[in-house]
Amino acid sequence: MRSRAQRITYQPGSSILHRLHPLLKMAWLLFGTVLVFVVHSPWLVVAVVALLVLAFPLAGLRLSRLRGTRLFVSTALLLGLLQILFVHEGETLLQIGPLAVTVGGLQAAAYVAGRFLSVILLSYLFVLTTEPNDLAYALMRAGVPYRYGFALITALRLVPVFEQEGQTVYHAQLARGVQYDVRSPRRFVTLARQFFLPLLVSALGKVDALAVSMEGRCFGKYPTRTFVREVHATRLDGLAVGLLLAAALAAALIG
Amino acid sequence: MIAIEGLSFRFRDSRGYALRDVSLTIQTGEFLVVTGPSGCGKSTLALAIGGYLFRQYDGEAEGTVTVAGIDVRRQPIYDVADLVGLVQQNPEAQFCTLTVQDEVAFGLENRCLPPAEIRERVAWALTIVGAEHLAGRSLAALSGGEKQKVAIAAMMAAKPQVLIFDEPTSNLDPTATAEVFAVIEQIRAEAGITVVVIEHKVDYLLPFAPRLVAMDGGRIVHDGLLTTAISRFQRPQIEPSAVSNKCTDGVLQSPQGAPCVRIEDLHIGYDGHPVLLGVSLEVYPGEFVAVMGDNGCGKTTLLYSLLGLIKPEQGRVEVLGQDTRQASVSHLARQVGFVFQNPDHQLFADSVWAEATLASCNFQAFDGATEARVGELLARCGLGDRREDHPYRLSYGEKRRLNLISVLAHGPKLILLDELLIGQDAGNAAFLLDLLRERTGQGDVVIMVNHAPEVTRSYASRLIFMDGGQVVVDAPPALAFEQLAAIGREAYLPHA
Repeated sequence: MRSRAQRITYQPGSSILHRLHPLLKMAWLLFGTVLVFVVHSPWLVVAVVALLVLAFPLAGLRLSRLRGTRLFVSTALLLGLLQILFVHEGETLLQIGPLAVTVGGLQAAAYVAGRFLSVILLSYLFVLTTEPNDLAYALMRAGVPYRYGFALITALRLVPVFEQEGQTVYHAQLARGVQYDVRSPRRFVTLARQFFLPLLVSALGKVDALAVSMEGRCFGKYPTRTFVREVHATRLDGLAVGLLLAAALAAALIG
Repeated sequence: MIAIEGLSFRFRDSRGYALRDVSLTIQTGEFLVVTGPSGCGKSTLALAIGGYLFRQYDGEAEGTVTVAGIDVRRQPIYDVADLVGLVQQNPEAQFCTLTVQDEVAFGLENRCLPPAEIRERVAWALTIVGAEHLAGRSLAALSGGEKQKVAIAAMMAAKPQVLIFDEPTSNLDPTATAEVFAVIEQIRAEAGITVVVIEHKVDYLLPFAPRLVAMDGGRIVHDGLLTTAISRFQRPQIEPSAVSNKCTDGVLQSPQGAPCVRIEDLHIGYDGHPVLLGVSLEVYPGEFVAVMGDNGCGKTTLLYSLLGLIKPEQGRVEVLGQDTRQASVSHLARQVGFVFQNPDHQLFADSVWAEATLASCNFQAFDGATEARVGELLARCGLGDRREDHPYRLSYGEKRRLNLISVLAHGPKLILLDELLIGQDAGNAAFLLDLLRERTGQGDVVIMVNHAPEVTRSYASRLIFMDGGQVVVDAPPALAFEQLAAIGREAYLPHA
């Protein structure tokens, strides 16, 4: 069986992270992102990265199997290396010819690479453990106008459909001998039109069907709507809120 | 319940009228079937009864449409929607949410009903379509038949007085088709609502003895009981005598020459899910093979593997002597033509002529003979004077003909067809099949994924039936149907 890297989409599970309220996870995502950019200590940023790496097995996820892991780790290493090479502040720890590794350089490397990794890892954790549908409904329950909520849901529903249709169009082109050889800008435009026109026509047909389906079920009849989906806050959520507040306080105190 | 008086409608930018002076009265609780060739106006009629035609489409309308005394041309769509539910062709395209529960609740939530009542109604609607076990499921994980049942439940939840089905089974396999029609009859019997079904496959509805209205060119051309008119409107009207030259009385003729296709122990899977599990078969020149089976059984994957679009994980696929692992798709495509399911996914050029000759030009095989062949094919398909038109201006049936011509033009030896006949009326279907039979007569091979047992009986020389990624029946149609009956696959048997 073909084994592929895991896609960066929701991975069903029952871990603590999976069970947290989507909006609370969103709050943690925002807090974490702001935190790594406002704290002064690079070692705190490194600690955040370490905590995030530990959170992956806790959520039943293996970082090494995820798509893009190699790319962002190597980018982080490159960012760090550049800092080490170009920032020369504080005590010199190592001197190889003209290259000097300083304490300041190491701190800058930890700071920049750590920030980058934190933001990526936080986003991965959020996306991989949050059912997008739950998030959309939670946002609507929290007061986001339902038209925006359903715009998100429609996008979530149609993205895989168009992905598959794009693949079919590509296959149909191969079957008719269309070569993806971009010899000139004109050829590029022709290829782009041949690929996107079928998708556009298909999308317009879908929009028609969807409009009939939505209007036929009174979407937009009233400014608000009811929701049958229950989203209860649990003790776990309470604990996570407490932790969030404590972390925010600690961060403010440590600076 | 429904009264239509002198209704005519012409879409903006359209030359002709989609509906012409249609008058029709439908009684409360009646079961009405509307049939007719592609483009005859039956779907437009469905949109008119639901009121959508007058709100969402630009055009000129004349006449009146009333449902339960309400003038649907004047009344807001939301008021009409309380009376009339419309289930469309493609369940995927009409879903607004991601889960079964959310989908069935969607219309009720929009009507601001209290959650407790919504829960009650969702449970009722799912029960009436026999889908209560699907309540907690994600829509993406459902089969085609299950999706359509959920789409019906989503409409039923609003407790409409009229339910319209616009070709509700055109994307479904015979098993799911039979299930959906049984659900429709059950709804009518239990809920006592008026049911209008727009359908080509009227033979499936025969047991319910409905009233039949036939349309052509935007007009009603027949109005009576289906039972008395079935022979006229049964689909597709193909003479059983018109059997392919290779089909004999129940045994495959002994193969001649080298096989065109040789598959050995083929295994293919996607993302950890096995799709084909050890398929082995050989196909010889001149064979017309129908591949049948429930949606998801691996039929399309089998076709894809023959053009090298998917490579074997295990086993071997050889097409015209070439191993698909070694040959590129563009190389194989010179001798293997492929018509995909959706006509719109395979129209790339700016004119009908450019579309028909696209592959020949790409393969640098366009010569005088090709030009003459394409010209002749277009003329026979009624597209001779549409050469300069944009392919997207053609009707659905015309697009399908163009799809086939554009694949036949460069003279492939192996022709692969994925549900070519979906949404085709009897005339179009017979026309396309005749074109294909000519090719098998010249020694080419046709392998066609197909859901219509009558087509298989009348045209194929061999039926391959797949189940769970394996070939479970492989025989000439007459014998294959006996074997299918023996394993309880009655839905795949042709109607008497």
